[in-house]
Amino acid sequence: MADVPEIRPSDPRRSAPRVREPRRTIAEGLLRVGMMLAGLMVGVGVLGARLLSGQPLGPIALLALYLAVTAFVFGLNGFAFRRLPLGWGPWLFLFSAALFGVLFLLGYLVGGVAGPFVVDAANRVIPYVKLADAVFYLFAVMTCGGAGGCAFSRNIIYSAWSLLFALLGAAGLYVFLGADFPAVVQVLVYVGGVLVLILFAIMLTKQIGEDPKLTNTHVGFPAGIALALVTVATLAYTAIMAPWKVVAERSWEPTASRLGNAFLTDYLLPFEIASVVLLAALIGAVVIARKEIKETSDVAL
Amino acid sequence: MSSIGLPHFLIVGAILFSLGMVTVVTRRNAVGILMGVELILNAANVNFIAFNHFVEGPGRLTGQVFSIFVIVLAAAEAAVGLAIVLAIYQTFRTIDVEETDLLRQ
Repeated sequence: MADVPEIRPSDPRRSAPRVREPRRTIAEGLLRVGMMLAGLMVGVGVLGARLLSGQPLGPIALLALYLAVTAFVFGLNGFAFRRLPLGWGPWLFLFSAALFGVLFLLGYLVGGVAGPFVVDAANRVIPYVKLADAVFYLFAVMTCGGAGGCAFSRNIIYSAWSLLFALLGAAGLYVFLGADFPAVVQVLVYVGGVLVLILFAIMLTKQIGEDPKLTNTHVGFPAGIALALVTVATLAYTAIMAPWKVVAERSWEPTASRLGNAFLTDYLLPFEIASVVLLAALIGAVVIARKEIKETSDVAL
Repeated sequence: MSSIGLPHFLIVGAILFSLGMVTVVTRRNAVGILMGVELILNAANVNFIAFNHFVEGPGRLTGQVFSIFVIVLAAAEAAVGLAIVLAIYQTFRTIDVEETDLLRQ
């Protein structure tokens, strides 16, 4: 077994010896199945009692739900997640706490959106989350998650795809703000033009990915995260505490024709300057990126 | 009536801006730095359109006009910046911004 020659010795997963998993006994399997069923029954029972009585979830019910999720994860770990290192240790409780958080958030959103439809009007009618708010949070999470992936992904291709989600989420936020024409321009110009250009530039250049340390040597990820936290805290404090003069009325009228009128009357000079800038930028890009043919070059391009 | 107000959008813009700044500061790949610049410009755009919707009121479109200008200039910036990146790559065979510190060959 150990004398078999390695075909690809550079691949660490091939060269590593295979670890045999310990055999699971029937008693352990029955225990895990029992734990899984018990967790499922406790969770369904607590949720059903809460739904029938119309009472909000207390701390005891939340603790019971957490223990039910933990038991379910422990039972499921014997079958589907056999590779996860989840024994009786703290990792099991951490993993189930994370899963419980995700499930709680999902239940919160679903209960807020669909709550008035499934529960009697006499029982409880106040939803936590309105549908428009849920849509906003969806777009906001999409935007911020895409930006986070763009900032923290190791692979530059993944960063570009995360940037796609950030740009699409921003377009959704524009629609949410009644700006239909900027949203369409965002999708057309950014997703259709700039992102394709970035992907071309990534694939035309050699990656730096040979060494795993992809950040620069002067400012690493800890300093970057500290910088992000400080900036977000400052800007969010300003955004929340500043007395913005918010007008009461909103408009969701189509804005394309009025934008065209504005571009051709009030903003005619910036419009023309922008077109000249675009022309100059395109000519300059062609001139800069033109491949120079040198006789002395011995690199086959 | 939705309960989402102006600070929500401003906070999204702040998160976009700070993540873009982190991208610009920590990346070594020149294309990654340009992607961070795009994030920062998008943060500015979100703020422009949010202020146009919440502060300026209906019938006035200054924020949207400036967001269109920002998108136009971002497209021009991306074209020229990526052309410069390609030229640097043809000259130095790398786009690591820590190694490209000469304007000549």
